[in-house]
Amino acid sequence: MYGLLDISTSGMIAQRERMTAISANLANRTSTHADGTPFRAKRVFFAPGDPTATTAAGRKLGVHVARIDDDPSAFTYRHDPTHPHAIKSGKHAGQVAESNVNPVAEQINAIQASRAYEANVVAAEATKMMMAQALRLLA
Amino acid sequence: MLIADLANSGSMPVLERALSFAAARQRSLVHNIANIDTPDFRMQDVSLKDFRASLREAVEARREGRVAGGGVEATTAKDSGNILYHDRNNRSVEGLMQDLAENALAYRLTTDLIRRETDILRTAISQRV
Repeated sequence: MYGLLDISTSGMIAQRERMTAISANLANRTSTHADGTPFRAKRVFFAPGDPTATTAAGRKLGVHVARIDDDPSAFTYRHDPTHPHAIKSGKHAGQVAESNVNPVAEQINAIQASRAYEANVVAAEATKMMMAQALRLLA
Repeated sequence: MLIADLANSGSMPVLERALSFAAARQRSLVHNIANIDTPDFRMQDVSLKDFRASLREAVEARREGRVAGGGVEATTAKDSGNILYHDRNNRSVEGLMQDLAENALAYRLTTDLIRRETDILRTAISQRV
């Protein structure tokens, strides 16, 4: 019964990591690296199981962040020929590359992450109530 | 020996099985909720067949005067009837929340019944009506 709270906690931790990535994406929407390449949005990938658990049964349950990858989608371009990072020639001549962060998609992901976090909190509350009822048998 | 006989008498073994089944089911539900956004994840549930078998074993063990062992294992539910989303996860938030509420009620019912059972024992021990 006690391991159940660890499962909910692993879910909360995973959703929080995802929310961190979303915040970083939104904060770096207009960021560029020193050489002028824009910031690439980060994507968090989940996988079942919790490698931090101490027991073999516990490692099978829960969720963890498998990896955080760069979003491979194309950069957006903005017309600004006087910009120091403006592209000199080719299809995008006179334009500046900007990050591939889509604020609308990030907002939707943030809502989804916060609802999933809430679902884990509800599950932990239900487990806590059940544990309290079981403990009351002793009294 | 006396205490063990008291603890394994009446409906106690069956209630104990029901309680551990509800706990195992809660583990599956909590695991499903934690993986609500995990790609390729299929929802788990505990097997009712295993539960019936373990219930039968508990009743038979009580008749034969021994203590029953064993439990129920979580299995991936086959053909849950849920929609498979684009991330190949067959989540159903409403179904999960309903199961969570029902399971909490089942657990509560079982603990209440166990308490009633121990109250009866206590009444018998204290020789009061």
